[in-house]
Amino acid sequence: MKATRVFQLTVLVLLVVSAVQVGYWILDQRAYTIDKVRAARTAYAAQTSAAQALLDAGVSAERVQALLPQIVIAGGHAALAPQVEEALRTEERHRYNRYAWEGAFFLLALGACIAVIARALRVEARVLEEQENFLALVSHQFKTPLASLQLSVETMALRTLSAEQSRTLTDRMLADLARMEAMVTQILESARLERGRVEFKSEPLELGAAVARVVAHLEERARQERIRISCDIEPGLYVVSDPLALDVVVRNILENALAAVTPLGGGSIALSARALNGEVELSVRDSGVGFRPADGARLFERFTRLHPRGGGGQYGTGLGLFIVHRLMHLGQGRVRAHSEGVGQGAHFVLTWPAAQGQRS
Amino acid sequence: MSATPSGTRVLVVEDDPHLAAGVMENLRAEGYEVSTAGDGEQALEWLRERGCALIVLDVMLPGIDGFGVCRTLREQGNNTPVLFLTARGDPVDRVRGLESGGDDYLAKPFHLQEFLLRVRAILRRWDWYRSASATAATAVLRFGGNEVDFRAFRARAWNGEAQELTEKEAMILKVLAEHAGEIVSREDLLERVWGYDVFPSTRTVDNFILRLRKRFEKDPARPRHFLTVWGVGYRFLSEGEP
Repeated sequence: MKATRVFQLTVLVLLVVSAVQVGYWILDQRAYTIDKVRAARTAYAAQTSAAQALLDAGVSAERVQALLPQIVIAGGHAALAPQVEEALRTEERHRYNRYAWEGAFFLLALGACIAVIARALRVEARVLEEQENFLALVSHQFKTPLASLQLSVETMALRTLSAEQSRTLTDRMLADLARMEAMVTQILESARLERGRVEFKSEPLELGAAVARVVAHLEERARQERIRISCDIEPGLYVVSDPLALDVVVRNILENALAAVTPLGGGSIALSARALNGEVELSVRDSGVGFRPADGARLFERFTRLHPRGGGGQYGTGLGLFIVHRLMHLGQGRVRAHSEGVGQGAHFVLTWPAAQGQRS
Repeated sequence: MSATPSGTRVLVVEDDPHLAAGVMENLRAEGYEVSTAGDGEQALEWLRERGCALIVLDVMLPGIDGFGVCRTLREQGNNTPVLFLTARGDPVDRVRGLESGGDDYLAKPFHLQEFLLRVRAILRRWDWYRSASATAATAVLRFGGNEVDFRAFRARAWNGEAQELTEKEAMILKVLAEHAGEIVSREDLLERVWGYDVFPSTRTVDNFILRLRKRFEKDPARPRHFLTVWGVGYRFLSEGEP
């Protein structure tokens, strides 16, 4: 990494020096041409004066013409032959053109190389910074469940606890462990997404079936938390997506909704879908804690957690919605969220391209 | 308020329910009375109507962060001691926490016994400060035309200017005044006022002394009350150096 950087910087410096050299070469050649033309003109002027002097001294026009072939003599007056003057102009133009085209080409090529390397260096610097931020955020995210875990263990070691208190602490520790495990999974998933190392298939998938699978998986938990999940999706709505991505997206959105409703001691999550202008929309409406409308943009950023009391043991890792956003983006889809405010519930809308031959 | 935990109320401000519950249960087991708040706004609202002996304050809170809560409290003239809990333990953050008016700083994950010790130590320091300022004679300090009210954290300087003291400034002044005429080392000041080596250096004490000189000396560049004893610490003279 470091050696590459040194190499890139060296090449960049060489390129800049070369560009300056080419610029200098153009100017130098131009000055040289001007000098040459001026010298030629002076020489020709001297020849013309000499011819005139010879004529004035009585030398015959033929003799002078033979001595100085570039001079024409008409009516006792010597002048530079027009074709010589023309040749001089042509040569001057020709040289100027050559420097302008060749020089410009080299400068352009060098400029392009400089731009490419400078861009690579900038991108690299940004990636490095993001990695550092990511590490800082990850370690920070782990410290809270770790602190909770340590506190529980030390409480058990320090105090004499009743059976019920021990049980509460054990449950808490298990939930903290589950939270950390979920975080590890999601961090790996999001890191893979960040590096773009995801093979994304695009195939027609039936939305209703995919949602039903996830709902079936979460139904038991929802019932325990007194949350009613209603699902109104007609069969035959096909979206273009990756089967795994579709599953992850729907699961994360539903888990987010569960976490938002759980602290209120119960409520509802309503799913519905429709086809619209070559796209399919899935709407997920929950009666949960909601969020400030101003936080809507931050919601899909990494490690944004807006539910401070995210339901019981089911904590937000701050990665679920980030993963949803990335996966939707990868599959040419969109996701948006809306809430009237804290305590007003939330509404998520996921949009995929519809599969061809949609039966809607 | 007394150094014994019973009846001493602690407010725990922590957005993580497990950690909040763990801290609360342990403080209760020690005999403290505990209230909790899940975010900064809740905490400020709670503190508007009630008081407590100590605030255990998480830094990373949704909405206003812990530093913001502490600053707001100090601006409102609330001098309740604050123990910061934070997932970030780097020195820069430590200094930020203490500069925003915190009393101590504990990085997550922390040891339960160390946490309880620090809670006790902060409360003990405040207990000392309060009892040392309890009587009419000890509540007010007069020197060189300045008048400091330790209970109200207010002062009137020699030029008639009203001054609001931070609790650390007041505590340093209290320690120095208790030992008027004697040399007090920087380490002693740190120990008495902060209790732990929470600052990266004793230089911080120097900064507080500079602030006190600016507030109370006629010519801060040539102090007559807050004297530096080179290489050792400070000496406070209420009469002023002749």
